[in-house]
This record gives sequence, structure tokens and C-alpha cells, in this order.
Amino acid sequence: MSPRSTLLEYAARPLYWIMLAFALWILLRGHNEPGGGFIGGLVAVAGSSMLATVLGTKAARRWQPLAPLTLAMAGVGLAMLSGLAGAVAGFPFLTHRWANSGLSTVMLFDLGVFCAVWGALTGYIYALMDDDDGEIAP
Amino acid sequence: MSHVSNTHDGGPTYLWLAAIPFSFFLALAWGLTRFPLPWHFDAQWVPSLALSLAFRIDGLSAQMLALITGIGTGIFVYASGYLAHEPRRGRLFLVLLLFMLAMIGAVTADNLILLFLFWELTSLTSFLLVGFNHGDTHARAAARQALLVTMGGGLALLGGMLLLGQMAGTWSLSGVVAAGPSLVTDPRLPWALVLVLLGAFTKSAQFPFHFWLPNAMSAPTPVSAYLHSATMVKLGIYLMARLDPAFNNLLLWETMLIGVGTFTAVWAAVMALRERDLKRILAYSTVSALGTLTLLIGLPSPDAGLAVVAFLFAHALYKAPLFMVAGNIDHATGTRIIDHLMGLRRAMPWTAAAAVLAGLSMAGLPLSFGFVAKDLISIAKTESEVIALVSYATVLVNAIAIAVAGVAAVRVFWGPPEPTHGQVREVSWRMFIPPLVIVLLAVEFDFFPTFADPLLIEAARSISPQLGQVDLEASYNFDILLSATGITAVIGLLFFLSWDHLHKALHRIHWLDRYGPAALYEYLLHGLSRVAAWQTRRLQHGRLSGYLRLTLAALLVMGAGTWALTNTRMALNTQWPPQAWAWTVACVLMVTGAGAALFLRERLALLMASGLIGYGSAALFLFAGAPDLAFTQFAVETVLVVVAASVLPRYGPTPEQQEPWRLSNLALAGAAGVGTFFILANLAALPVHPELAEWFAQHSLADAHGRNVVNVIIVDFRALDTLGEIAVVAFSLLAAVPLLAGLKERRMP
Repeated sequence: MSPRSTLLEYAARPLYWIMLAFALWILLRGHNEPGGGFIGGLVAVAGSSMLATVLGTKAARRWQPLAPLTLAMAGVGLAMLSGLAGAVAGFPFLTHRWANSGLSTVMLFDLGVFCAVWGALTGYIYALMDDDDGEIAP
Repeated sequence: MSHVSNTHDGGPTYLWLAAIPFSFFLALAWGLTRFPLPWHFDAQWVPSLALSLAFRIDGLSAQMLALITGIGTGIFVYASGYLAHEPRRGRLFLVLLLFMLAMIGAVTADNLILLFLFWELTSLTSFLLVGFNHGDTHARAAARQALLVTMGGGLALLGGMLLLGQMAGTWSLSGVVAAGPSLVTDPRLPWALVLVLLGAFTKSAQFPFHFWLPNAMSAPTPVSAYLHSATMVKLGIYLMARLDPAFNNLLLWETMLIGVGTFTAVWAAVMALRERDLKRILAYSTVSALGTLTLLIGLPSPDAGLAVVAFLFAHALYKAPLFMVAGNIDHATGTRIIDHLMGLRRAMPWTAAAAVLAGLSMAGLPLSFGFVAKDLISIAKTESEVIALVSYATVLVNAIAIAVAGVAAVRVFWGPPEPTHGQVREVSWRMFIPPLVIVLLAVEFDFFPTFADPLLIEAARSISPQLGQVDLEASYNFDILLSATGITAVIGLLFFLSWDHLHKALHRIHWLDRYGPAALYEYLLHGLSRVAAWQTRRLQHGRLSGYLRLTLAALLVMGAGTWALTNTRMALNTQWPPQAWAWTVACVLMVTGAGAALFLRERLALLMASGLIGYGSAALFLFAGAPDLAFTQFAVETVLVVVAASVLPRYGPTPEQQEPWRLSNLALAGAAGVGTFFILANLAALPVHPELAEWFAQHSLADAHGRNVVNVIIVDFRALDTLGEIAVVAFSLLAAVPLLAGLKERRMP
């Protein structure tokens, strides 16, 4: 395995949280400014893969809310769920609904996209990087 | 008497599930006494595809429903006993229930597409049920065979349905039947009918597609009794009977039905003599009965409809119990080979009683419902003036049916008991009550016709609308009937007595195994996998440079072809865009990356060079007014470079051997570059339609409350596309996980 970098090992976790916060910010601003679920998800993937590179995939998995495949499927489910709200109200599937407070099913849908991208891509990445000799304890 | 009343593992027996079909059955019976047929139900589903949840229940549908739910009740009770020792029985019950719902949908659907959906659903559930013992190679092969044959037919059926719907101008099944006679002049009609009949023939196991049915006997017995004797295989018969009023006068229809039906009936009857396995013998006799039904539908006489429904009913009521009897014997003795079975009547008295009663009906002997059916069949034939060959064929088929009944109901139960079966005991009550009840019902229908006859006559009217007042009892003509029955019975008895000799003689004809339709199926299946292997070797060779060459060449050919065909003009915009310096920087980045990639050898360095190209194009997007795209591209490039850089070293150092410089590669790459340039220049010359862009820009904030048009399109206007995309992304991971696990194993031996 490549030589360790102490600096990176210490910086990895704070950096990861910063990247995740950044990803969420991109996700939330996406409806009015450049951004959205896809890009936010990709930034989160970048964070996770950074963590996996520095501290190993085990650590990266631990700091993810769900296992990659579950996360991806949950994302798809969330997106479908957001579409059902419109269907229940009598509109075609995926007609989005808005509450007066500004909350909407669009947000739910975008969160689904975010989770699907984050889960699916990290699933690939961890599978590629998984290596018993490459594991470095945090 | 009943020594097995509980399950092996203490789990549920699922006996209560029988309440579901039984309640359906009671509801149907209640409805039939209260409301006159037909019943309608119609609800919109996908109006833009002419797909509606339209259901229509007339006499024929009601008869099929009675069979599906009535025999289904027996099957569920039977299965709760038969599968008591099967740890995965919950799964079987679930699929069995799904199958029943699919069948109910298929025989009541009044929309062509809806009917097709339910039709395919029965094929799919049948696949799961036949392959239930998936550890068994034969069961897997049989399940795949049943699926391929019936789904192949289903595809033809869909084509036929689409043609019929287009010709008739309606997607309602009853509408097509009503419009039928006016379609005779349409040149597309023969095609439509042949396609529909292909679907019906595969489903109802007509020659040459019959072979899947005997092989499907590797399914658990409740499945064979339910799907492969009483219900699913009757679906093709149902469809033909349904369409018969519309196309009965067509020579093509009549010829195909009578021809294929007669041949199937005879062929399968003779093939039954070649078998020693009780279930396979019954399966071939089922195919033979299905052939007879097809033949009867093809007959033009109005009484043929009555014969069809009576025989359909009688067959279901004796064949399902016979299968259950075969299952009981298998359960009690551990074998279904008739050579090893004798004198079981003392050990299994209740099963024997059910077998004898069912056998009586199958043989068409007096005092059974089969007798009524045989009677109606002979009337239908004398009225229709069928050619003599068909009549002789029927006598042969009936005689072999008698012999099969003798083998299944008499031979295995009578005679001295086999010494090895000393400890054979009667099976659980759950397994002998259902067949007994079903055959007793059949006997009851013969003595008290008021229960079943009105339904049967109503069903016959769905097939032959011109049928007048009929009385099933009054149609008895004892003189003709008894003599005809007598002749058939004598021949049948002869077949029964000489079964072993006939079997040996027929078994010696080996070319039947080598050149039959089943052998053709095997040949085609192997051919398919050979072709697939060949083209995979040719195309999926694993050399990236080869893939790239092929892709670029194809792209060039397509581009050049389009250019030659459309003859568009190029537009070269020589003006500098605003922020030209940024565009220049982006282009320099890309050219640097591409140029470096030409001379670099180290993999990591190559990766960096390709990252340079990616960042360059992202920068270009950023200044060309697509910040979202640029943003995504930056993120993708970063992740790719980071991940690849950390993964690549695990695959060892860069291999020494590199592909040498080749002039052909250089030419291809150059041509691809120049070609892309020309394609883009041509694209720029195409007129731009701004309507869509303007519409999205106007409605984004007003309707979807978002200022970022790109994101609004992704999550709102085209949300269904996005949903499909993320589903593909997520499911691709599901497929890739085992592949990547295999890769890891290879990397670390």
C-alpha cells in the first residue's frame, strides 16, 4: 500500500463533513441556483471516496447513513414516494405538490436523486477499492 | 387413517388459504343465482394506450371461473397436505395464489391488451411453479422450456391481438368478436388469426408445441393438477372458444383447428402409451384431451359449443383428481412408475375410490359426467359431417383414454399387493378428500343436472350464439350412444390389456426421441447459445483499443451516411465569442491533455492527462452557459481521478508491452477528429427551434417555483425520466456487486 500521510489522516474526517455539508447545500440551492440532487450526490461521492482513499473503505462505510445499496434503493423509493403524493391527490404520477411553507415534494424527489447517486456510486467505488491489506484503522 | 395432520417443522400448513378461492367460488355461485349474465366492469387505466380495466363475465367466463375457484379450493386443501414437509411451501402458496388471480383476470378481461397481460402473468407464475424444486436440473430445464414456448406463443398472440384491434377499430374483446364477420375481407385477417392461434396452441399444448406439458410434470403435484390439467392449459381453449363465434365460418379457422386438434389428440394419445411414469401418462392424455377440445371448437355445428363446454368441464373434474391420485401414490410409495405399483387398494382405500370414480368419468362410461360429454361430442360430430378420418381418430383417442383410465384407476390399485410396499399407508385426509369431493361433484352433476346445466348452457351460448333451447338429458340417444360407447369400450379394453406389449413396441421407435419437436427445441436452444458465444468472442474480446476502433469507425460511417443523405450545409462561425480568453484556456487544457496522452506510458500519468481533458471541457461548459453541466463534469472528473488513482496501483505496475504505433490507428483517430468537427459544423447550420427553450424558461418559475430551469426540468417537468435514470443507476449496482466480488477474488488468489 502507498505510504500514509499523517496530515491527510487527521484532516480526512473534518474534510469529509465539510464536503458533505457542501453537498447538502448544493442539493438545497439547486432549485434556484446551479446545483441539485445529481451534483450534490456527486460531491458527496467525492467526499466518501476521499475518506475511503485515506482511511479505507470500512471507515467510509461507517460514516455513511446507510449501506451503499440500501442507500441507492432508498433514494429510488423516496423519489417514487414523492410522486405518489400527486397521484393520491388525483393528479398524474409525479405531479409535484407545494405547501405554503415552501416545502414541496420536489425536495423529496431531489433528495431521492441525491441518495441514489451517492449510494450507487459509492457502492461501485468501495467494491473496487475493497482490499484486506489496504485497510487502515482510523 | 390420517397420520400426518401437522407439518414437519411445526410451521403453518396454510390450510386457511383455501378459504380465499372458496369465498370467490361462493361469491360467484351467489352472483349467478341473483344477477343475469353477462356482468360488466369498466375503469380507465391508461386511456392514451387504449388500455382500460374492462372486465366482462358471460357464461364461458363464469364456467372458467367456477373451475378456477372450485378446483382451486380443492388444490389449496390438497397442497396443504402434500407440502406439509416442504420447508419453502409458503413461497409456493404465494405463487399459486398469484397464479389464480392471473387466471381470474385472464378469463374475465374484456380488453385485448389486458387479456394479454394476464395471459403472460399465468406463463410467468407457471415458470416459477414448475421450477419450484430449483435444485433439480430437470425442473429448471422444464420451467425454462415451458416459459420459452408459452412466452414465444404469447409474443405471437400480442401481434395477433394488435392486428385484430387495429382491424376492428376497438380494443374490447367482445367488440372484436362482434366485428368479426365484417373483417373477412381484410387481407390482414389470416395473419392475425395465425398469430392468435400460435399463442393459443402454445398455451394449450397443441402439436408441435405440446412437449413442454409432459416435461412440466417435474412441478409439485398440486401445480400439475391445477395448472397443467384444469386451468392454465385451458386458457388457449378459452381464447379459441371466445373468438369462435366471429371466425367459425372461415375455412382457415376451421381447417387449422380441426387439423391441429385431431392430430394433437391422436399423437398425444399414442405417445401416452410410450410412458411408464403415471404423471407423464396423464400429461399426454391431457394433451390429447386438449386436442379434442380444439377439434370440437373447430366444428361448425351449433351443438359443438355445448360439447366443448361439457367436455371442458368433465375433463377438469376428472383430470385434476387423477393427478392428485398420482401425487398420493407418489407420496405413499415413493414412485410413480407403473411397473412398481400394484394392489394399492387395501392400503389406500380412499384414494382408490377417488381414482375409480375419476377413471369412470375419463373412460366416458355411464353414470359419469364424462358420459354426458362423450354423448354431446358424438352428436356434434354427426351433425357437422366431419370427414371420416376425424371420426376414426376420435374412436382411437377415446379408446386410449379408456386404457389410460384403466391404468391410472384400476391397474395400480388392483391385483396382489407388491411385497415391497408392505408399509404403505393412506395419505393425510387433506390429500384424499379434495379428489374425492371433486369426483363426487361430477357424479352429482350427472344425476342432478339442475346445478350445473344452466351454467353449461349459458357457456355454450357464448360459443354458439345460435344454440336453441337445449336439455342435456333429453339429448340422450341411447341406441346410437350405447353401441358407439360399446365399440370404443371394447377397443379401449384391448388397449388396456395389451398396454405392456404396446408400450414395448412403441418404446422401440427411437427416432421419435431424436427427431421430435422436443429435439428441435433442444437443437434451437443450443444453437442460440452457440451463436451468442460466437458473437461474444468476436465482439467482446476485452481489448479496449479494439472497442474504441469499432466505436469510432461506426460513428464515422453513420456521420458520413447522414451527411450524404441530408446534404446539409456547414456553418462556420468565425466570430470570437464573449470571454474568448476562457474558451481558449479550456481548449488549450484539452489539447494539452490529449497530446500528452499520446506520448505517456505510465498509467497514472495517462489518468491525469485524461483528467485534464475532462476539466477542460467542464471549463468550456461553464463559459458556454451551462453551469450545471460544468458543475457535474467537475465532480465526475474529480471522483474518477481520485478513485482510479487509488485503485490503479493495486493492479501492479504498468505492463511493459504496449500496442505499437499503427498507421491505421492514426488514420482512424485523425478521421474521427475531423469527422466530429464536420458533424458539429453541420449541426450549427441546422435551424434552431427556440420554442421549447422559451416555454421552459417561461414556465419554470411560474408553474414549478424554480429559477434554475435545468434542475426544474430534471426534477419536475421530466421527473419520470429522472426516476428511470436513478433506478437504472441503482439497479446497475445490484448487477455489478457480484461481478466486482468476482474481480476481487481474481485479484487476490
